[in-house]
Amino acid sequence: MIDAPESTDPLLAQDKAAAEFKTWLRRLVTDTAELVAFDAGEIDAVMDRNSVSALLLPEAQTALHDSHRIALSALDALPGEICVLDAMGIVVMTSKAWRVSGAAHARAGLDVRAGENIFDACLDAPAGERAHANAVAAGLRKMLAGMRQLLRFRYVCPSPRGRSVFTLTMAATTAQSPVYTLLTREWHSPRQQTGKISGVAAGKVRRIATAVRSGAQNRLLAALPSKDYAQLASGLEPVTITYGEVLYEPGEPIRAVYFPSTCLVSLLTPVDAHRALEVGLVGREGMIGASLALGATKSSVRALAQGTGTAMRMNAKRFLREFRRSEALQRVLLQFTERLMVQISQTAACNRFHLVEARLARSLLMTAERMGSAEFHLTHEFLAAMLGVRRVGVTVAASELQRRGFIRYRRGNITILDQRGLETASCPCYRHLQVLNPPPANAPRPMSVLNLLRLHGFF
Amino acid sequence: MANKRMKKVAAKETVATVVVMRLYIAGRAPNSVKAIANLEAICRQHLKDSYKLEIVDVCEHPRRALDDGILVTPSLTKLSPTPSANVIGNLSDTGSVLAALGVQLSPAQ
Repeated sequence: MIDAPESTDPLLAQDKAAAEFKTWLRRLVTDTAELVAFDAGEIDAVMDRNSVSALLLPEAQTALHDSHRIALSALDALPGEICVLDAMGIVVMTSKAWRVSGAAHARAGLDVRAGENIFDACLDAPAGERAHANAVAAGLRKMLAGMRQLLRFRYVCPSPRGRSVFTLTMAATTAQSPVYTLLTREWHSPRQQTGKISGVAAGKVRRIATAVRSGAQNRLLAALPSKDYAQLASGLEPVTITYGEVLYEPGEPIRAVYFPSTCLVSLLTPVDAHRALEVGLVGREGMIGASLALGATKSSVRALAQGTGTAMRMNAKRFLREFRRSEALQRVLLQFTERLMVQISQTAACNRFHLVEARLARSLLMTAERMGSAEFHLTHEFLAAMLGVRRVGVTVAASELQRRGFIRYRRGNITILDQRGLETASCPCYRHLQVLNPPPANAPRPMSVLNLLRLHGFF
Repeated sequence: MANKRMKKVAAKETVATVVVMRLYIAGRAPNSVKAIANLEAICRQHLKDSYKLEIVDVCEHPRRALDDGILVTPSLTKLSPTPSANVIGNLSDTGSVLAALGVQLSPAQ
């Protein structure tokens, strides 16, 4: 096979791919005024309803990439050891001095790189440095919760030349900026005196650090004022919930409540020994066990995990205590309970009146929305239980949705190909529930390079 | 909220009503930066202090843009006074922006 000359040149191939992408983006634009602006090169991004995101034109992508590169090289040019963290504790970028020194002190657990989560790095710190790492994690937690603006720690740590002393400074940036915390490290001569950092119980800090990390993903927890959340955080324990796991059985006492971060839980009402019907679906926008707050001690539904992921767990006793104490928690939970009741009653009516195909479409849309992904795993058996129909009914409905090009279904792996099409195929209940239960907003993007440069006084 | 700015100032005698606008941009992409600069210049020159501008970054708030019916950025929407109007692009054509905002140019301008 002979390659065409342009395909062997990577730059030309890149240009060709960019041009093709641009042509594809142009097809998404329909209105005349928008097309005129598009052709005049005055457009940066086209909105994509399927992925709910802004698709940047190649020129805009290049410009943003270049500005990221400029910021990185500017950061590298600074003499200090600097590390920039976003709101979740992810390292956005580090200066060259930070990387060099981190590699030299990797033994002390200081080699934290871009893309890593600083809380994970603190948890992975070597045994000898655990107390320091825990104190850093606790300090960061305070910064991210907005309780502190500036913190300083001074440490002694092992280094290739014996023991070294350094000061770690954390500075919170303004709330307007997407970059949240700036870490700087300064080294001192070992003769200088060092202050001992008082350590908090390791397990507790670890739990709090993780709670901050994943708790923020749950909308109810995120809606709490930082003071109330801080109070709650020490009782929250991160757990992984796997697909098919049963959290509650009907009639059994509720021992713990769950705030899903990335998992998805289906609420099923059993009608006899073998059959059950899904009446509600709860993801990161809500909680499992809210009936405890209404005075119930036993579950009336089966709570079954429909998607593997993480959640924050709190034992029932502590939850009730916090619920009585915090007005904000009461408000947030009552609002959620009201939304859940609407969902349950709408689902009940929907199950009675609408066809399997429309219900399947609604169910898939709701799942995708709560999982925050257009791809997920659901077996026929599970779907049949969710919709209260036999497996063959699901097969027929899913095949029809697949034939119309709305979804791809292969061995339980479902991909939504055409969100808008699936919405038209679903019953009006989906639209109704969406209005009442607006889906969670996307997580804030971590980076603003200009803010970073501004921070360093470049302009 | 990140990258979202509000400006609200009292109306002066030159323009009686406050113009409420929303500008949708995509981060620091070139046309978005131009659109902000162009719009701020237009507001300064023609609207004096009687305007309220909200800038929405669609990279951070895509759902909001979609809910507002925005398809491409930069895109400027005049919300008040009615009728509402839209201008697409980097707002370098001052005339069309003023027309959309309903600003009458005096002979001196």
